[in-house]
Amino acid sequence: MKSTLSPDRWRCTRNQNGWLWCIPAGLLLCLFAATARAQLTIEIIGGGADQIPITVLPLADEDNFQQRISQIVSADLARSGRFRLQEIGSVRPLPSEPSEVNYRYWKNRGSQTLVIGRVIQRPDGKVEVRFRMLDTAKEAQAVGYAYTIVMPQMRAIAHKISDIIYEKLTGEPGVFSTRIAYVARFPQRFELHVADADGVNSQFILAHNEPIISPAWSPDGTRIAYVSFEQRRSIIFVHNLVDGTRRVLAAYEGINSAPAWTPDGKRLAIALSKDGVSQIYMIDADGNGLTRLTNSNAIDTEPSFAPDGKYILFTSDRGGSPQIYRMSVSGNNIERMTFEGNYNVTPRYSPDGKSFAFIQRIQGRYSLALMDLTTRQTQILTDSPLDGSPAFAPNGRLILYASIVGGHGILAAVSSDGRIKQKITSSAQDVREPAWGPLAGNR
Amino acid sequence: MKQIFIAVCAALLVAGCSSKGTTTQGKAAIEQRSVADQNQQATADEAAKQARIQQEQEQLKQQVEEQKRRQEEEARKTAAAEAEKPVVKPLADTSMTGKALTDPASMLKDPASPLSKRSIYYDFDAYNIKEEFQHLVEAHGKFLLEHKDLKVRIEGNCDERGSREYNLALGQRRADSVKKAMTLLGVTPKQIQTVSFGAEKPKAPGHDEEAWAENRRSDIVYIGIDTQH
Repeated sequence: MKSTLSPDRWRCTRNQNGWLWCIPAGLLLCLFAATARAQLTIEIIGGGADQIPITVLPLADEDNFQQRISQIVSADLARSGRFRLQEIGSVRPLPSEPSEVNYRYWKNRGSQTLVIGRVIQRPDGKVEVRFRMLDTAKEAQAVGYAYTIVMPQMRAIAHKISDIIYEKLTGEPGVFSTRIAYVARFPQRFELHVADADGVNSQFILAHNEPIISPAWSPDGTRIAYVSFEQRRSIIFVHNLVDGTRRVLAAYEGINSAPAWTPDGKRLAIALSKDGVSQIYMIDADGNGLTRLTNSNAIDTEPSFAPDGKYILFTSDRGGSPQIYRMSVSGNNIERMTFEGNYNVTPRYSPDGKSFAFIQRIQGRYSLALMDLTTRQTQILTDSPLDGSPAFAPNGRLILYASIVGGHGILAAVSSDGRIKQKITSSAQDVREPAWGPLAGNR
Repeated sequence: MKQIFIAVCAALLVAGCSSKGTTTQGKAAIEQRSVADQNQQATADEAAKQARIQQEQEQLKQQVEEQKRRQEEEARKTAAAEAEKPVVKPLADTSMTGKALTDPASMLKDPASPLSKRSIYYDFDAYNIKEEFQHLVEAHGKFLLEHKDLKVRIEGNCDERGSREYNLALGQRRADSVKKAMTLLGVTPKQIQTVSFGAEKPKAPGHDEEAWAENRRSDIVYIGIDTQH
């Protein structure tokens, strides 16, 4: 295993899911226990209006396998808040092919959409998964696929089916096959985790007794940039998830922080204080080509790229209090975006570039807010005392963020219309610093 | 005969007076002597009396002298003890102050010295050194001026509220403001490192104003004294 940074001090392991873990050799302890105890549990708190009714029937013979696809699909769809999962009723045998479906029966039960299928164990050890989504009004198939997979891909194929159903019925891409990154804190230990979007398969890619903050996914989902304090000061690393190697991106004097990838994944905007107060710079993904972008005598940090790469939102206290500003990628045309209150921070462009999430202090509370870039109207989405680190799902529907409940850091998610809320807890002391990876198609 | 009787009586009287509680043995002895030679007896008695008085006086004198000697001894001892104290104390003190004069580590740890205080506290979202901490910063600045071989690391910290990245930048500003105040006093910039831990290494673990106030802080850390590196 080669590593670009002090290979002797880092140990890399490939687990059964193909993930690579790299951790300092001296800190290789409780590897499996640690990953198990950090699994996330997602609890849906609110529900959206106008939910789409859907009936997901158990796939024939899926009981023969450890992972039941219909259960994973149902959980995915329910968690999105956009579907109303209907009871499967008492009719037996359940249909698994369109020819077996009594459309009138399902229509009478109020099921507009029916999901059926079959899981087949093949003699060569592979598994064939067939699924169809049927429109009971049209009495026709809306979409249907057959996949041949190996056993460990069972969950992944279930998420893919969820994505297809979601997109077919909402017109937007599903995010069930995406991954998230977050930081779990245990006593004397910080772990940077990567998990499936449903919180399952959480594995750490870095563990250390010093803090880790600001994970940022590259647009192709193969790398994560983050800030690690492992050398007792902030240093930016770029960690390759494919081969488990990592390299120092920026270790200048002072702070090295707030990495944000350009939409093409070739460069990053970062915040450095090497020339005095924190300013925003651009740097190539390989650590070369450092150029300064902002020139103020105030704190400039937290850059976020517009999806078209033309603008950067950032936080600055140049006006006397931290506020959100926008500039062109050349560093010109600086415009102040927030005016309400004296603490507006952590801007994050929505994936469509039409709005941005940020944290606004209102009456002593640090709430997640959303500003529409066209109307400049702000909507407050949360009312807990200490929310932070917003991260859009790549379809823009949900915003993952960090919150504090009962003195412990948790992750939570809210739909961008504020209607659906999720609470994501972990057995770790704290979970924080969420970052949502790109759509699978980008990988 | 009458003279003898008187002499005996006088002798008895003197004996009775001079030696209280004279035993019958003593009486017998006197009687024996009185039989032997009355005049001689009287003279001997007188001499014995004188001797006894002299002896008693001698003893008294000795006692007085002994007492005086003891008192003198006591006084001398006390004086010696008094004299010893300043010897003992300065020795102990010397060993401490002697170190304090030459060993910066001891000076920094002396609770009476402002140097023993190493933390500067801030208001929320502020990095200016408040008036109450300027004396502390000046004391350390002067100390660094006097000890050019010493190096410090100013560690800037913030409370947990707000943005982690903004707090990281704010913590750096807090540390840098202390460094600037010290360099304005003439301290060589090379003697001062700065680092920001933002909100990532809270000293107080709570989520209330008390904990937040404690965590909005710059610490002056003497390298090689407070920490190895």
